[in-house]
Amino acid sequence: MSRVVVIGAGLAGWVAANRLADNGHSVVLLHKGLGGLQLGQGSIDVFGYDPARVTNPIAAVAAASAPHPYATLGTGSVVAAVAYLKQLLPGLLVGDPEANYQLPTAVGAIRPTCLAQPSMIAGNAHDGASWVIVGLRRLKDFSAELIAANLSRTELPDGGRLQARAITIDVAARESEIDSTGLTFARAFDDPDFRKRFTAALAPQLKPGETVGLPAVLGLADPTAWSDVAANLGHDVFEIPLPPPSVLGMRLDQALRARALEAGVRVVPGVRTVAFDAEGGRVRSVSIATEPAPRSFTADAFVLATGGFESGALELDSYGQVHEALFDLPVTTVDTALFHGDYWGPEQPLFTIGVPVNAAMQPLDASGASVYANLHAAGGILAGNAGWRDKTGDGVAAASALAAADAIGKERP
Amino acid sequence: MSAEPNIEPQTKATLAGLGFAGHELSRATLDACVKCTICETQCPVSAVTPLFTGPKFVGPQAERFRNGESVDHSLDYCSSCGTCTLVCPQGVQIAELNSQARAVMKADHMPIRDRLIGQTVLMGKVMTPVAPIARAVLNNKPIRKVMEAVVGVHADAPMPPAQSQSFEGWFTKRAKPAGPFPRGAVVFFHGCAGNYFEVETSKKSVEVLEHLGYEVLVPKHGCCGLAQQSNGLFDSATKSVLKLCDDLRSAGADLTIVSASGSCTGMLKHEAHEIMGVEDERLHDVGVRTRDIMEFLLDLYDAGELPTDFGPIDMTVPYHAPCQLKSQGMGKPALEVLKLIPGLTVVDSNKTCCGIAGTYGLKKEKYEVAQAVGKPLFDMVKETNPDLALCDTETCRWQIEQSSGVRTEHPIFLIHAAYGLSTLA
Repeated sequence: MSRVVVIGAGLAGWVAANRLADNGHSVVLLHKGLGGLQLGQGSIDVFGYDPARVTNPIAAVAAASAPHPYATLGTGSVVAAVAYLKQLLPGLLVGDPEANYQLPTAVGAIRPTCLAQPSMIAGNAHDGASWVIVGLRRLKDFSAELIAANLSRTELPDGGRLQARAITIDVAARESEIDSTGLTFARAFDDPDFRKRFTAALAPQLKPGETVGLPAVLGLADPTAWSDVAANLGHDVFEIPLPPPSVLGMRLDQALRARALEAGVRVVPGVRTVAFDAEGGRVRSVSIATEPAPRSFTADAFVLATGGFESGALELDSYGQVHEALFDLPVTTVDTALFHGDYWGPEQPLFTIGVPVNAAMQPLDASGASVYANLHAAGGILAGNAGWRDKTGDGVAAASALAAADAIGKERP
Repeated sequence: MSAEPNIEPQTKATLAGLGFAGHELSRATLDACVKCTICETQCPVSAVTPLFTGPKFVGPQAERFRNGESVDHSLDYCSSCGTCTLVCPQGVQIAELNSQARAVMKADHMPIRDRLIGQTVLMGKVMTPVAPIARAVLNNKPIRKVMEAVVGVHADAPMPPAQSQSFEGWFTKRAKPAGPFPRGAVVFFHGCAGNYFEVETSKKSVEVLEHLGYEVLVPKHGCCGLAQQSNGLFDSATKSVLKLCDDLRSAGADLTIVSASGSCTGMLKHEAHEIMGVEDERLHDVGVRTRDIMEFLLDLYDAGELPTDFGPIDMTVPYHAPCQLKSQGMGKPALEVLKLIPGLTVVDSNKTCCGIAGTYGLKKEKYEVAQAVGKPLFDMVKETNPDLALCDTETCRWQIEQSSGVRTEHPIFLIHAAYGLSTLA
C-alpha cells in the first residue's frame, strides 16, 4: 500500500481517489473549493459530436485521433471507466457505452449523453412521443413554453417528431418567496408532503399517456423523490437540467464525495495546492497555502486533476505563454495564433493546449520522456481536450483518472 | 485580561468605513467571483430561512455597492460559519467580507447583548466560584425567560456548564508529573471555555500530552477574542488576541502551542489576520506554532511518532467537525486519529453546521434559524448513538448536547480512554 495525493475534486479527482482507495492505497484528496460537477448537467458525456451527432460513443472513441486524449486512452479504458462509474454510483447512473441518450435541454434542444440519472431517461427523445413540459411559476430558470415550442419544431436524431405542450403551475417552495432557486425547490421536493401538494395541483392538468417533463428539482437528499412524484401522478416523468445551481450535478458531486469518504479517502477541502518539492525525478511533496504557514503532504505518487483554464490549472500570461500552474509542466504548443476572430467558428487554437501524457498518464517533456516518474495527470488539464465542443469531457476525465490510478498500482513505491 | 466588560461604543470612525487593512485584503478577492452559485448551494442558513438572501448576494454582489454603508441588512442573518469561503473554488473571501461589513453595519448601534456575550472570561470568573448556583440559575425556566426579554438570549439556548474548579486551579494544585519528558515541552492553550467550562477536556488533553512524553507548560492566559470578533467588536477582539499572543509567547520561543479549543486555534491561525486585518509579528509567530490537539496527534502519526497501542473501544459514535475547524485547511484530523482505535466506528456527520456558530444561536431572533440549521445533525447524532457524540469545539458541543439530548464530548475523551488513562463513563 502506498500513499497517494490527489489534487482536485472534479470528476477526475473523485474517480481517481475512489479507485486508488479501492485498490488499497492510502489516499489524501486536496481541493480548493467544490469542483465543477455541480455546474454541469448531472450526466456523463463520453462522445457527443464528432462533429456530427454521435449515437455510439465507443465507436466514436475508437475513431479518435491525436491529439485527442482518447487516442492515447483507447476504447478499453473508456469502457472500464463507464463501468466503474456505474459501480461507484449504483442507482444514480444508468446507460450503455455504445448508445447515447438524446435528452432535452432547458432551451428545448436535444443533447447526446452516455450515462444519465434514472430520473432523466424518460426524456430520451423519440418519434411519436407525447410530452407535457411543466413550468413552475416561481422558478425563473425554466421556461416551459420555450422548451415545448423548440422541441415541437425539432427534427429528432431518429428522424422523427415529438409533440410537446407547455403548462405552468404555481406551487410555492417557501411561502414567503416569489422567486425561489432550483435548489430551494429541490429541498421542498425532499418533503413527501410537498410532493403530495405538487402532484395534487398538477395531476388534473395532465392528459392520458403524456410523459411529464419537469425542471430538475425533484429532490436532493431523497433519491426516491422523483419516482414518488411519478407514482403519485401515474405518468412517466423526466427531469430537464437547469443552469447552476444544478441539482442533478449536486447529486453526482455529493455521491462521489460520500463514496470517497466511505472508502477511507482523507479529504482536505478549501485549500489551494501551490508548491511542490522534487528529488531525483520524483515528486516528494506538495504544499498547500494555508494561513499562517503552508502545510506539506509527502506521498509516493501524485495525481494532478486540477482542471483546465476555467479552474486556473492552466494560465495564459501576458506574453502569450501558457503555463501549468502547479508543477510548471511542459505544455503543448500551437503553430498558429492562439485565437482567431471567428467567434462561432472552429475551435480556438488556445484551448487545444494542455499537458501531454503517455498511456500511464505521466506528463511528458519535449523528448517524450516522463517529467516525474510518480506524477500522473487526469481530466481537463490534458492536451487536446475540447470537451465543451465534442462532449467528451466527462469520458476523458473518468478514463484518464482510472488509467492514472491503475498505473500507480503497478509502480513500485 | 481585564474582567471589565468592554461596552464603549465602537465608532464608525474606528473602522473608517471599512477602509482597514483586513478589508482591503478580502476585497481584493471580490473580482474572482464568477457567480457560479456554489457558495449559495452550501450555505446552511439560507437553506432554512429566506431571511438570509445567501452568501453570494450579500457578499461579493452587495459588496460592489458598499461604500462605507451597508446596502443589505439581511447580512445580519449570516452566522459567519465560513462555509462559503471554504467551498468557493475561486478563492473569494465571502465570509470575511460579510463579517467585516456586518461590523460596520452594527458599529453605531451595537446591541448591549452582543457586547456582553463576547465576555467569556467574565462569565467564567463569575460562574466558577458559585457553580452549583450558576447551573441552577441557567437551568431555571422563569429566570431564562426574563433573561430572554431583557438581554435577548433565547430561553432555550445552550449555556456554558459552570464547573466548581477551573482548569488553571487543577493544573497548579495537582502533583506535577516528575518526568522525564523525552519529547520536550509544549505549551497548552486552554482558551476561556477550556479554563472555566470544558475543564475535563483540558485536563484530558494535558494528560494525553504527558502520556506521550511531553512536558506541558501553561502560562497564565486569557481569551482569544473570537466571540467579540464574531459580534463585530474588532477593537476589543484585537486587544484580546494580542494580549493572548504575549502570554503564550512568555512560555518560551519556538515551542509548539497545542489547544483543544478548535475555534480559538482558528482565530490565532487565520481569523484575526484575515477578518480583522491584524498585522503583527506576535500573532504570526503564535499562529505558525499553534496546533489543534487532534491535528497535533495526526501530524505525529504521519511522522511515524504516535504510539498506536490503543486499547479497544467497541462503540459506534457520531463525529461532527465544527465549521471553524474545517476552515483551517487540514480536513478532519480527529476522524483520522480516531480510526486508529480498534473496535471504534466513527461516523462522520457530514453535516455542514450545528447552527450555533459561536454566539449566533443564542440570540433570541436567531434561535429558531440555528435550530433549523442543526436539525439534520441532531437527528443524525440521535440515530447513530443516543449516549455519546464527538465534536471539537465547545459551543458546538453545548448546542448538540442541548438540542439532541446526547452527551457530546471532545474526541480527546476517546484517545484518553484508549491509552488506558481513563475508562469511559
